[in-house]
Amino acid sequence: MAGAARYLDPAIIARLGTIDLKARAIVEGFLTGLHRSPYKGFSVEFAEYRQYLPGDDLATLDWKVFARSDRHFVKKYEEETNLTCHLLLDVSRSMGYASGEITKLQYASYLTGALAYLMHRQRDAFGLIAFDDSIAALLPASARSGHLHAVLLALERLQVGAGTDVAKPLHDLAAAVRKRGMVVLVSDLLDDPTRVLDGLKHFRYRGTDVIVFHILDPYERRFPFEQAARFRDMESGEEVMAVPGSIRADYLERMEARIDFYRRELGLAGIDYCLLETSEPLELGLMAYLMTRRRVL
Amino acid sequence: MLGVSFLSPLFLIAAAAAAVPILLHLFHRKTEVVIDFPAVSLLTRVPVQQHRRRRLRELVLLALRVIALVLLAISFARPYFNGGAAPDSAPLTVIAIDTSMSMSAPGQFDRAREAATRAIGAAPAAHALALMGFADSANVLVEPTTNRSAISSVLSDMRPGDGGTRFRTALGRASELIGARDGRVVVITDLQQAGWDANDDGGLPDGVGVEVVRIAPPAANLALTSAEKRDRRIVASIQNFGAAEVSVPVHVIADGKELAKAAVTIGANGAANVEIPAALPDSGDAEVRIDDATGYQPDNVRSVRLEAMPAIPIGIVVADPTGAVGGLYVERALSVAGNGREFDVDVRDGRDVAARSGADLSKVAAMYVLGTRTLDRPGRELIKTYLAGGGQVFLAMGPDVDPGTLADVLGVTLSFEDSAIKTPGATMIASDGRHPIFRPFLSPSGALGDVQVEQHRRLNDQADRTVLARFSGGDAALTEQAVGQGRLLVFTSDLDNQWSRFPLNPAFVPFSVETARYLTKGRRPAPVVATMDVRESNPAAITVEEFTNAIERTNRAAVRAAGHAARDIEDRQRWWQVGLIVMLLALSAEALIGRRTT
Repeated sequence: MAGAARYLDPAIIARLGTIDLKARAIVEGFLTGLHRSPYKGFSVEFAEYRQYLPGDDLATLDWKVFARSDRHFVKKYEEETNLTCHLLLDVSRSMGYASGEITKLQYASYLTGALAYLMHRQRDAFGLIAFDDSIAALLPASARSGHLHAVLLALERLQVGAGTDVAKPLHDLAAAVRKRGMVVLVSDLLDDPTRVLDGLKHFRYRGTDVIVFHILDPYERRFPFEQAARFRDMESGEEVMAVPGSIRADYLERMEARIDFYRRELGLAGIDYCLLETSEPLELGLMAYLMTRRRVL
Repeated sequence: MLGVSFLSPLFLIAAAAAAVPILLHLFHRKTEVVIDFPAVSLLTRVPVQQHRRRRLRELVLLALRVIALVLLAISFARPYFNGGAAPDSAPLTVIAIDTSMSMSAPGQFDRAREAATRAIGAAPAAHALALMGFADSANVLVEPTTNRSAISSVLSDMRPGDGGTRFRTALGRASELIGARDGRVVVITDLQQAGWDANDDGGLPDGVGVEVVRIAPPAANLALTSAEKRDRRIVASIQNFGAAEVSVPVHVIADGKELAKAAVTIGANGAANVEIPAALPDSGDAEVRIDDATGYQPDNVRSVRLEAMPAIPIGIVVADPTGAVGGLYVERALSVAGNGREFDVDVRDGRDVAARSGADLSKVAAMYVLGTRTLDRPGRELIKTYLAGGGQVFLAMGPDVDPGTLADVLGVTLSFEDSAIKTPGATMIASDGRHPIFRPFLSPSGALGDVQVEQHRRLNDQADRTVLARFSGGDAALTEQAVGQGRLLVFTSDLDNQWSRFPLNPAFVPFSVETARYLTKGRRPAPVVATMDVRESNPAAITVEEFTNAIERTNRAAVRAAGHAARDIEDRQRWWQVGLIVMLLALSAEALIGRRTT
């Protein structure tokens, strides 16, 4: 990982100061790499004409206007602003888990902040809803210039909450969204998969596009524990006495089954699904978002 | 502790190692790893029951480990069951109560019980207690125990008997009980003077304290020392053990009815005979009784058998009945027993034995075999059959016994050296003075120590043979063994004044008579009233100081015999092996369960 792209490493991002800086580093690093990608030229729309001034790119002159009026005008383009995006961030206690340097919540915050920064650059309106078993923070969607700062500040102040109830805020928000938009859910999805699916489908029924970022810790994917221990659920407090070697295969099978369920069922519902481990670069999330946005637009 | 003792109790300290797995268990519990994990819902649920089962399994594992360590320590401590209820290491107070006839005066034994109760209460708290009664023999009634109420309950059931007093026997048994530990003996007795007369063994180790509780004897006692039937009269002898002349009535009772009564006056410390004419029945028993309300009760009555007792047939087999070696001394000795009416002695040459039938021979209560040289094969077969069928045989292995044919006579091989051993001046010593044959020799007047033997045959010791007496050189003198259903006594010298002067010794007659009585005890009716030692009727007592001074003190080292006895017991029981086997089983089970757990 070289140049600005190295800032997409979550571990490095975590060492940066404010989340504002983190988000900028992520997005700028991502966009720097994007110039070499097939996704260039996204999301710019015509805004106005402006009289030509010396130094302007001649390619931007509108020769048709010159022919009609004999005056030199250049085209001004502006990023699209009619997309309203809702960032749903799970702050339940399970998101506080970390096997390495950063917790799932930190990773999710960086991702959410980067998405907000990207949306801000694209002049999209965006809002933030942080929830556990209830809504912990709510910033309505807006495209104002100061809104990004408010969202990033809210992200920086987030703390892990209580238990997870993904379905309820999804249903509440789905009922509240009135115009076509986009919902980004960032969560570890440790809830009843059927309820989560029902909540997300609610958006789809209302014509809202949805992208789900499923955040998992590497230890949740591989369960590399060796010593017999009591495993205590971070949300319910339930304890399970287990010898990892004897239950690992069963656990991994269940975890993969759940991931497959989300991937399959969400795909059938037209919902984009992106599985991210907290050790993976954040650009994967941004890439997934842009692909979804492109499809939406 | 349920009668369990240990040869090496210090090893029990190692049982403290059992605390190690317990501490590890507790430590492990406190440091059990708890991991906060978000996806616990995806872990395989361990049911509560299974979790409890796992906890139970852990406890079982812990118990097995603790058991293994404790068993290891116990096995090294060499446990054994000694039948007692207190550990061998605990100090012991032995309460020895005199139960001889001289404790039977009215109220006397009640005072003894009260004294014993006080002794129980006064015993040091750290001491175990044992209770024994003693008269002719000493019987342990309560083994060493810390349960004092158990002693009290047994104490209430104790009664005086009609035996004599033998202090040495009592002290010897108390010494065995105390063994090598610290101890004291509380002797509750009337301190009867005759208590030291018996020629028995017994003393106390150095350092064992003695507390004597004197139970005062009656001031005087009247004793009916003998009673017999002569024609139509009863002749009774009465002795007055008192400082004053007394007149006492004598009753003759048969079938519950008084047949006659007479009065007799006896001077101080004197004796008198009285003849009482009575219309006595021809058979049964009559009871002769005197009135002595304040003295000992058992010596106030004697039983008289009214019909003549048939003489007990005794056969003597000799090599030459006409010569000097013809069993003369044994015949003469047996002929005086019971005023000449107790035994019917038949002396026969070995050649004549074959003339008797087996049925005829079976009527013989006991057979003395003094010579076998003239026994022919049928004769030898007859004696062998007689012995194996339950006969009683006394064999004197003098010069008239042919070693080569002895196995044919007896049906067993005795294992002895053919040639006689010359041991001029060897004396005979009873191995157990309480054996019925040697009981009369316990008093000094009839000691066997004067018996001198010039030659004898060396009989090798065998496991199934009991040595009743030995010569001073250590060789067996008199042995007893079972042969088939019969019993064989073997005297390893002769009784015909050839190899020894024993037949000329005063001890020969009582020895011969008691031997014959011992062999024929199955043929004689049991006495209605037991005969008793006249000396026991004498209430003369010694002082506590005299008693204490008379106690023979033994070196503590001698007590090691008790330790050896414990070692022998432990060696026979070998519980340490059982302990180790169980320990190995526990470890195997632990390994099995432990492997399933992990």
